[in-house]
Amino acid sequence: MLYIKNILSYVFVLPLIGALILSFVPAQNKSLLKAVALNCSCLTFILSLSLWVFFNKSIGTFQFVEKFFWIPILNINFPMGVDGISLFFILLTTLLIPICLLASWDSIHFDLKKYLLSFLIMEFFLIGVFCVLDLFLFYIFFESVLIPMFLIIGIWGSRERKIRASYFFFLYTLLGSVLMLLSILYIYYQAGTTDYEVLLTFSFSPLEQKILWFAFFASFATKVPMVPVHLWLPEAHVEAPTAGSVILAGVLLKLGTYGFIRFSFPLFPEACFYFTPFVYALSIVGIIYTSFTAIRQSDFKRIIAYTSVAHMNLVMIGLFSFNVIGLEGAILQSLSHGFVASALFLIIGVVYDRHHTRMVKYYGGLVHSMPLYVLIFLFFTMANIGLPGTSSFVGEFLILTGSFKANTTVTFLGATGMIIGGCYSLWLFNRVAYGNLKIQYIKSYLDINKREFLIFFPLILGTLIMGIYPKIFLDSMHFSINMLVEFMYF
Amino acid sequence: MRIDTILFKEVVILPELFLGFCLVFLILHCCFLSVKKKYLLIHNSIVYLSILVLFFLCILVLNDSLKVLQLSYFNDTIIHDYISFSSKLTVGSLALFSLLIMHSYIKSQKINQFEYILLILFAVLGLFLLCSSNDLLTAYLAIELQSLSFYVLAAFKKNSTYSVDAGIKYFILGAFSSSLFLFGSSLLYGVAGTINFEEFKDLLIDVNSIETSFLNTSLIKIGLIFILISLLFKLALAPFHTWAPDVYEGSPSASTFFFAVVPKLAIFILLLRIYYFSFYDFFESWRYLVVISILLSVIVGSFGGLEQRKLKSLLVYSSISHMGYALIAFSAGTFESIQMLFCYLIVYSFSGLCVWSIFLLTPLKTNYLQKQNKDLTDLVLLSKSNYVLAIFFTTVLFSIAGFPPMIGFLVKISVFLTAIESSMYFVAVLSILCSVIGTFYYIRLIKILYFEKVLVGKLYYPITTQSSILISFLFFLFIFLFINPTSLYLFAHKFSLLFLFSSI
Repeated sequence: MLYIKNILSYVFVLPLIGALILSFVPAQNKSLLKAVALNCSCLTFILSLSLWVFFNKSIGTFQFVEKFFWIPILNINFPMGVDGISLFFILLTTLLIPICLLASWDSIHFDLKKYLLSFLIMEFFLIGVFCVLDLFLFYIFFESVLIPMFLIIGIWGSRERKIRASYFFFLYTLLGSVLMLLSILYIYYQAGTTDYEVLLTFSFSPLEQKILWFAFFASFATKVPMVPVHLWLPEAHVEAPTAGSVILAGVLLKLGTYGFIRFSFPLFPEACFYFTPFVYALSIVGIIYTSFTAIRQSDFKRIIAYTSVAHMNLVMIGLFSFNVIGLEGAILQSLSHGFVASALFLIIGVVYDRHHTRMVKYYGGLVHSMPLYVLIFLFFTMANIGLPGTSSFVGEFLILTGSFKANTTVTFLGATGMIIGGCYSLWLFNRVAYGNLKIQYIKSYLDINKREFLIFFPLILGTLIMGIYPKIFLDSMHFSINMLVEFMYF
Repeated sequence: MRIDTILFKEVVILPELFLGFCLVFLILHCCFLSVKKKYLLIHNSIVYLSILVLFFLCILVLNDSLKVLQLSYFNDTIIHDYISFSSKLTVGSLALFSLLIMHSYIKSQKINQFEYILLILFAVLGLFLLCSSNDLLTAYLAIELQSLSFYVLAAFKKNSTYSVDAGIKYFILGAFSSSLFLFGSSLLYGVAGTINFEEFKDLLIDVNSIETSFLNTSLIKIGLIFILISLLFKLALAPFHTWAPDVYEGSPSASTFFFAVVPKLAIFILLLRIYYFSFYDFFESWRYLVVISILLSVIVGSFGGLEQRKLKSLLVYSSISHMGYALIAFSAGTFESIQMLFCYLIVYSFSGLCVWSIFLLTPLKTNYLQKQNKDLTDLVLLSKSNYVLAIFFTTVLFSIAGFPPMIGFLVKISVFLTAIESSMYFVAVLSILCSVIGTFYYIRLIKILYFEKVLVGKLYYPITTQSSILISFLFFLFIFLFINPTSLYLFAHKFSLLFLFSSI
């Protein structure tokens, strides 16, 4: 008998159990390895869906709360719970992991066991980040995600530049987050606890808030990524295997925005208001600069990586509008970006698996030979631009509406990013899908197969549902965000 | 308590007595056997015998139930309390593990002289006495006993220039630092007229009061600084670290392993006894020196390791920076900081055991077996040939680097927490930034383990069943400590009980 109030801990430990089972399967038996990993991650996804089913939409507090003791001597324990904000990030994680495993079904030729293990362990850490209600444990999970991702980029990456990329990834994020670590220690020293719900009742002096906010910002902004520290992202994306890019764009970038919503906003509200112009400026620079940079890239993955930066910076503008519409839009846009950017990376993965190149110039006229592929590509290109009816439209519209209330100029400048976004997305699509077939480079073509279609299907479905009827998502997060905004202005 | 009714109350020194008698017995055993033709087999039997001795030593230490808070004997020169009990237990088990790990290395390097193992046992005896010494002279003698053993251990490969060079360097600089210790002690004796730690404490209970104003406090301060410098020398902390890379690299790996891992804890106990128990009122006068040493060692440790090509010299710099972090907790000066210091030292020692076990248990399959110092690139095929071992090594490296889900992270955080609690913000920020730079050389090792595609590399002999049991034990200890760190904190709390009732 499953107890409903314990679902969260089941969702949390299930990937770890899967990893344990996986470690006893012999490494030669590849089909069994894949079956165990996929079944485990699918089971986790179904269980996490039941989180949403049993989620009480009419309250904004934490649900499925459980508390375990960890280090009682230092008053650091393990409380976990879910509210309307973190629920969808958990769902996104559990949805993307089986998709990642399916995406690399045939393309991993060595060390398959380690590969599957690192994905399951990463899922465990990611669910931990989103459901843990303790600042210290949040940091532990937040950082732990680096290890499997570092190994995935470094071991199964494509070229020799992967080592440089994995160093970039590791050291940028580590350098950002040690500052957060110091401020967590300071908070612990001041408040005597790192329990999130207790910390909400604690107020810091304005100067403390500013310093602590900035230290947190250094960590979260590297993850988002904001402009001066975004350099690791294109490198890591280009060198990572397809599934690595998917999880990187789909979930890892959301750790930054989630951290802002969960910790920076309620703990340091005054500093948030104080630093708003700073964040706006960085985000605007990020949107426009990276959109222009995306136009002149020749690498397929690099283009999508730069669009990720632009979209995530738009999310930052939505977050710092500090009203319900903007925040809801920001979370919806994060989710939508999780679908769309992941799908675009998968689309690149499809042609990369066949032809082993990501240079745009080798592709052309794919519509003649791969019509189904181009159809899906068109759909996600449109979703990336923000066509009405897709999820990005809802997210971007809400963000711009929210920020219009806060700052009109920022809205105007942020909206230009969408126009440039139209430029590079359509141009990329044009170059790849239309024109003549480049027979001199690629001689044989193969349209997507059943497995690849099944990968795209849930993403298309999610994008459409979120675009046509976003109410089911917004309803669940509405009360939590309302509480957060009221808490900030209180 | 009925301590007075026990006639032979020196029975508490039973572990040391046992070790001493065993040493005499082992020497006789070896001397009689070495004239026979079975000489070459001695090193094997002596290793097993000494492992047995250390095992019983640990049991004896454990068996000694401590009924009183502290008890001093032999005319107050040796003390028996919680800190000595716990530290003896830790040092004993560390020595036991290190002998187990060294065993296969000694075999493969053909170190056939029985003296090698005996010297290690002598060093353990010295460390035990150091843990329970209660005056400056006993402490000096104990330090000398372990250092003299170490000098010989460093120079043990008589036909290797590096080894002899390392031994001479270690001897000259070690003797120099010991003389500094003696000089400082003589200054303290000249001013206070005593060498006993408890008498120091009683005498200086309130330095600024009228009763003690006749004491020449500036001479005491100078003496304390001399002693501090000498002990920092022993711990290889910057700016007194320059002997360490040469000595660690030149001496046989097993000796390096032993004096990189085991003695640090005991020396920290002497530091605590002198600076926290007896001379806590002079805290402000020695603290700034310690802080300078922290900053220098953290910087030297993290930047010096970046360009190293050999595994051993990498580990030297790693140990310098780790001792720097441990010293942060030492300089914080609170009760909790002592607890965190011991947490850090215990985890440091055990992760040292793990790293060196990889180093020593995997002999290279090359023609020149004499090669004792592994290049970093020698590890290239480890993940291909034995990937469980590679995963173990990765876990340990992440733990040493202080990366989150590992125990090394928790203890490092505890150390930084003590720094913040005592308002040492600058030290905390600088050392945490340096630790990021230090992380780089650990992840470079992981890069070599996993990321590089090479077809040519050096292969290893498969490790034996005994070593694999040992390694898996250490691995599960690591995971257990992360899941249940409370046990570690409680054990470290026992160490700091002594200082609960002292002047802090």
